[in-house]
Parts: sequence; structure tokens; C-alpha cells
Amino acid sequence: MDILYLLIPLSVFAMFGVLGIFAWALHAGQFDDLEREGARALFDPEQGSIGTSTEKLPPCH
Amino acid sequence: MSPSFVAARPAEVLEADRGPRWAADAHDARLASATLRLSGLHCAGCAASVEAALRSDAAVRDVSVSHASQSARVRFDSQRTNLNALLQVVRSAGYGAALDEADAARELRRSESRLALWRAFVAAFCGMQVMMLALPGYVAEAGDIAPDLTRLLDWGAWLLTVPVLLFSAAPFFSGAWRSLQVRRIGMDVPVALGISVAFIASSGAALNPAGPFGHEVYFDSLTMFISFLLIGRWIEMRMRHWAAEALEAATGVMPQTALRLGADGLSEAVPIDQLRVSDILRIAVGEAFPADGVVIEGRSHVDESLLSGESKPVPKLPGMSVIGGSINLGAPVMMRVERCGADTRYEAIVGLMRDAATQRPASARWADRWAGPFLWTVLLLAGLGALVWSFIDPQRAVWVAVSVLVVTCPCALSLATPSALLAAAQALARRGVLLRRIDALEPLAAMQRLFLDKTGTLTTQRPRLARIERLPVCADLTEPELLRLAASLGAWSHHPLSMALCEAAPPDRRAQAWRDVREQAGAGVEAIDVLGQRWRLGNARWVLGAAGVVALLRVGDSADVDSANVDSANVDSANVDSANVDSANVDSADVDSADVDSADVFSGESPRASAAQGVRVSLGREGAVLAHFIFDETLADGVAQALAALRADGIALTLLSGDAPARVQRLARRLEIDATQAIGGATPERKLLEIEAAQARGESVGMIGDGVNDAPVLARADVSLAMGEGALLARASADAVIVSNRLADVVQARAMAKRTLRVIAQNIAWAATYNAVCVPLALFGLLPPWAAGLGMAASSLLVVGNSLRLQHALPSPRTSGTSA
Repeated sequence: MDILYLLIPLSVFAMFGVLGIFAWALHAGQFDDLEREGARALFDPEQGSIGTSTEKLPPCH
Repeated sequence: MSPSFVAARPAEVLEADRGPRWAADAHDARLASATLRLSGLHCAGCAASVEAALRSDAAVRDVSVSHASQSARVRFDSQRTNLNALLQVVRSAGYGAALDEADAARELRRSESRLALWRAFVAAFCGMQVMMLALPGYVAEAGDIAPDLTRLLDWGAWLLTVPVLLFSAAPFFSGAWRSLQVRRIGMDVPVALGISVAFIASSGAALNPAGPFGHEVYFDSLTMFISFLLIGRWIEMRMRHWAAEALEAATGVMPQTALRLGADGLSEAVPIDQLRVSDILRIAVGEAFPADGVVIEGRSHVDESLLSGESKPVPKLPGMSVIGGSINLGAPVMMRVERCGADTRYEAIVGLMRDAATQRPASARWADRWAGPFLWTVLLLAGLGALVWSFIDPQRAVWVAVSVLVVTCPCALSLATPSALLAAAQALARRGVLLRRIDALEPLAAMQRLFLDKTGTLTTQRPRLARIERLPVCADLTEPELLRLAASLGAWSHHPLSMALCEAAPPDRRAQAWRDVREQAGAGVEAIDVLGQRWRLGNARWVLGAAGVVALLRVGDSADVDSANVDSANVDSANVDSANVDSANVDSADVDSADVDSADVFSGESPRASAAQGVRVSLGREGAVLAHFIFDETLADGVAQALAALRADGIALTLLSGDAPARVQRLARRLEIDATQAIGGATPERKLLEIEAAQARGESVGMIGDGVNDAPVLARADVSLAMGEGALLARASADAVIVSNRLADVVQARAMAKRTLRVIAQNIAWAATYNAVCVPLALFGLLPPWAAGLGMAASSLLVVGNSLRLQHALPSPRTSGTSA
């Protein structure tokens, strides 16, 4: 069980690491527009928008 | 279209504190950042399209488009491109774009939201880790874990709790400090007290397990309940922001740029936030006035539906004042700016709306009143418990006090009512009813009598062609041909009556060739056809004057005659003093202090006549009237059903309108409203009297009207609503704006209001029960702090969840085509 003497402080530092990553994500604006992030899975990476055609998309109505 | 405002006067732009913000980057390029307001984003994919379009411009360094707030933040090299070019890029991608004015408020909301989320995250994740470290303590038998390891676990938990306490819980401490400074107990005081006592006691236990604080540490319950409190606050803030954004989006789009005439006579396009008082602006036809001011050149008529709710155009002559946001219909004018930016009426209204979004509802203020005694009781009980237990079992004294402080849920008094009201406001906003004053929900539920305005509320703004009267003198043209001619001539005008003609014209009308088209404010539109004949469409008197008859009106010193032509053929020589001059009775002798109402002159009807017949427009050729077109006001869709639903709900209805009594009675008969409850010809004073009389009878009164026109009347009613067609800005004094223009939504709003009151009652009942049960449990030492924390968090979540139920309480609208 001696390994715990290492693991417990390590977990504390890991925690601070997690907080740092979240801080970066937050200030990079990843949490500002949660609806759009949810729909991002549907985006075509080339177009940057929904659809498979390579033509310019008409405005959605 | 216009020279780039960037290049025009760079010095002025830099010294002004408005407009895009500037910064120099490492390569000494001037980077400007601006926020654009977008329109036409119907899905998240559209946001990505706009982003791609903007990124394709080489001068753009950074772009981020938010679908939720329909805005785009752009950073671009200002020396290689400018804002107008970027707006064009977005427009050519198929979306609308304009400079965003609500930038500052949105920025504030964003940073507020980020900070709240950051705090909640720190508390939650640290709390989770602390729980991991606390788990061995719960699971192990006594003596299973070496004391060294126990100490390590405790200190690890302590280290992770410190950021939570110092950073995440900071709002509670500052809130508690603030309320103590004003010598009142706020919600934050017991929370702050409980947190600090728990932390100090746990730290003491970690430091010295054999000491007065015992050996139990409760960092896990501490962080847990801080994180739950913060999550609850973040949810509440998100709802508040959502409401604010909905209100901002609803205030419509003011023109974003204006054509300013410089001293050298050249015009340049400037963003309206760079306008100054006494700038001279040129306003084209169809454009909106960007600021309050005075017309200095040009004669036109403007659509002031923003203020009056009536789309009848108001003629403007040099010297008359115009309001920012109204639309120029007749001819290009030049105006001088008198009030711009924050001083305009537009901004005042927007400011009002923003205040409404942040105010505390009355029920919350009630809750605050009760909070004081409640919290004092809690503090007293905690102290008493500690005292009693210090005799019985000193080691548990502190923990009993902490449990009592922690278990009492401030949620009832702080979170329950506002979260329910906000969820209801959000649901209603999605449905199309914007609550300016959130606590209007309560009087809405209690309303017993509803006063209805007529125009714009029950009837649509646009008149409808009812029939065509062809005069015998017109033998060569049939009625469809007359309609076609009138529609093609009326297409040159923005007047609502001519637009109604265009709507009524058969769809297969051939384009009639007109030349020399001229529109005369207050009279009509005239043109010359291919045969060289002069046609006129408009006021009957004016149409008669097409043959070249000149008006012989001698005007007294103090007359106020508008620009209509008065036909001398119907003129005799009596004296008219201080009367409303009816076009049928106009005299050519001295006219003193007479006001000619332009709208009636255009339509050629006196108020009396139009009450009987409806509004009339005439078509004439070379001075001979060929036909009259009679218009009728149409009842808005769904009005009858909505009124029936309101009646079924137990609300008494009264029609209260300034329009002619005969018309009002006719409408009342159509809508099955009792004739005694249909009051026409009511001045604002009369309306006020009616409302006061109803209130004196003990009735709770609501009023639906058109906003600014009836401002004192609306303010007097217990709850006031305004329909939102067109200009929402005008609805400044109503408690709620029905953006969807469906009267049926009033019924929905009322149902929602009743549900909300029920939910609030449920929340408060739950909180009272919970406190009544748990505080004695804690006092008797049966509730360890971790259970107290759990109970309090669960109670908060239950209340918020109950309130969130309201978001889905409304059925979706069944009518298609209207945005919710």
C-alpha cells in the first residue's frame, strides 16, 4: 500500500492539470455556444457545413 | 455603394470610442475586431457556412460565429479590408449581416457566464476528487488504514478544497459581506457561515486528529454542496441570459449605417454609432431614420408605426421632427440629427427592456422579506444546538452546528420563485410572448377583465380591398381592368392602401407602362400613361384636380394645412374657425387654426363617412373620377376563437378603441361582444377612466393595446400586453409583448401563468416541509454533515428541476408559418 504515498499527491496534481485544461477550453470559447457544438458531428469537414455536395449551399429556409 | 468608412476619416475613427475596436499586432498591422449581428441562421450548419465565408477573406484573421446568439466576432486587418466589405461577404453567402450594437451587453453576459461556469467546474471537479479521497474513510473499518495514509488523504482533500473555497465560493462570501454591511441577513450569510465553520473545523481535525474538532473531516460534503449551489446558480444565470437575449433580438434592427453629408457636400456612409448631434444626413426612400432629428429639406411621409402602431403615413415637411427607427416612404429627405446614440428614444426603450430583464420580481422581494427572520432563526438554532451539544458531547458540537447551517436550504426563498418565473418567461418567449416585466405573470393569472384595443390588436394593420365602385362615366374599362391599372400605379407607392391594391390585383396583370410617376404626400400618386393621359390615384378631391384646377385657399396666419391639394370646385366662402376641416366642406375663404388630417385627406373621407363606408381611394383620368376603391379592415386570424377561449376561461371582455363608434359596434357584433362592452371614440383619458372604474369595482384588469400611444392607460392596468406586429420598440410600456401576433397566445400565457404560480407554490411547500423535517433531525445530531450537504443539494436540484418542467408546458403552435 506504500504506492498510495505516491498516488495521492499525484492525483492532486492531476486534478490541477484537469482544471488547467478546462480553463483553456473555457477561455477558447468552447462552451459559449453549446447548441452548435452538438451539431458539429454532422458537419462535413471540407465544407464546414451540413451536406455532401461540393457546390455552394443555398441559404437554408 | 459608399466610400469605406475606414479610409474616410481615420483620425476621427481612432479617437472615437465607438465602432470596431483597434489593436496593433506584432507585425504592426492594425487589427480591428467587431461583432456582426447575423440574420437568416436557421441551423447550426448556417453558422459554419458564414464562418467559412468570412475565413475565405484573406484579411480576416479570426472568426467565430455563434449560432445561439446569432452573431459573429471577426478580427481583421483593417488596412486590407473594412467592415462594409465583410458585411458584403456575409450577404453574398446568403445571410443578413449588420454591425452589432448590443455588443457591450453581450460581452458582459458572456464573461459573466464564463466565470460562473468556471467556478462551478472548479467546485464540481475538485469535489469529485475529494470524494475519491474520502471514500476510503467511509469504507474502511477502524484501524484498516494506517494513520499516515489517513493523514495523507485528509491533507490531499484539504489541498483540493482550498481552491474551491477561495475561488468558487467567493460569491457567497462577498454576498454575505455585502448583506452584513447593510445590516441585513441575506441568503448568503448562513451558506458562508456554514462553509467557513465546516472548513475551519475540518482543517482543525486534519491538523490535529486528537484535538477539539475530532478526527472526522468533511471536505467532501463541503465541496459537494458548494458545487451544487453553483450549478444551480449557473442554470439560473443561463435562463436570465436567455431572456435578455430574446429581448435584445426582439428590439429589431435599427439601420446600421447612415449617409452623412460632409461640409464639402460629399456623402459618406458612417456607422450610426459615430453620428453626432447636428450631423446632416440624407435618408433615401425606404430607409429608416437612424436617429431623432429634424427634417431640413424635402417633403415626404414616414411610417411611424414604431410609435403610433398605425401604418398610416405621417407627412413630414421641413421643420418637423422625425424619430429614429421610423421609415421614410415618400421622397428623399435631408435631416439634422438632434439626438443620437444613447439619447434616442430607441435606446431608451432598449434600456427599459434591459432593465426589465434584470429586475427582481415582486415575489422574490417578498421572499427576501421572509428570508431575514428565517435566517436569524436558523443561526439561532445552530448556535443553540452547538451550545447544548457542547455539554453533552463536545466533539460533536461543531458538527451539529455545521449540519444545521448546511441543511437549511435557502433554495426555497432564493431559487424557487425566480427559477420558476424565468423558466416560464423562457417558454413563453419561445412561443412568442415576451415578458418585459417577469412578475407580470402573477397579475396575468389573476386577471378578471380584459380591455381590448381594436386596430392592430383585433384587426390587422393592412386594409383589404372590399369592393370597387365604378362610376357611370367610365364606360371603356371593366372593373378588373380598373383594378389592374390602379394596382400598377399603386405599386409605385408604399402607402398601405396602395399595397392592399397590389395584393388584390389579379396575379396575371401586365406591367402597365407609366412615366413621370410622382407621389404627393397626403394626396396620392399620379403618372402619365402611354397615351399621354394623366392618371391619379388617391384622394377624390385631388384626383378631380388633375385637370389643372388650382386651389383657391386663402390661409389664415395660424392655419396648419398639410400638403394636400384642395379642389376649389367644392369651395364656397364661409368662415371656418378651429374645426377639423372635412375635405367635402372646405371653403376658400379664411381658414383659421384648422388642422387638416392628412390621412383622411388622402382617402377622401371624413371620419363620419369612413365609419359608414370604409376607407376610400379613387382612380381618375384627366380630372374625371373613374372608380372608387373601398377598403375594409380585416380581422386578424384566430381572433374569434381566441376571444371565445378567453371567455371560456372566465374573463370578461371589453372593446375600447379610439376609432369611430359605428365601426367599433360593428366589430363587437362580429365578435359577439356585448354592445355595452364596446366603447368607440374613446380618448386616452376616457380609456383611463374606464380602467379605473373597473378597478374600483374590484376587478383585476388587463389591457391589450398598441404600446406608446396608450402609455398611461397601459401603466394603469394591472397587467398590460401589446401585439408585436412590426415595431416592437414601441411596446415600451406594456408588461408583455405578443411577438407572434396571435391573440390565442394570450390564452396560452394565462395558462402558463397559472401553472407557474402552482409550481412556485409547490416549490415553497417542498422547501418548508424539508426544512421543518431536517432541521430538528440535525439538531438532534442525527444528520451528519455529509447527509446535510446531500440533502441540501438534492433539495436545490429538486426545486430547479420542478421549475424547469415549465419550459415544456406549452404545446407547440399549430399554425404553420409563424415563428415561435
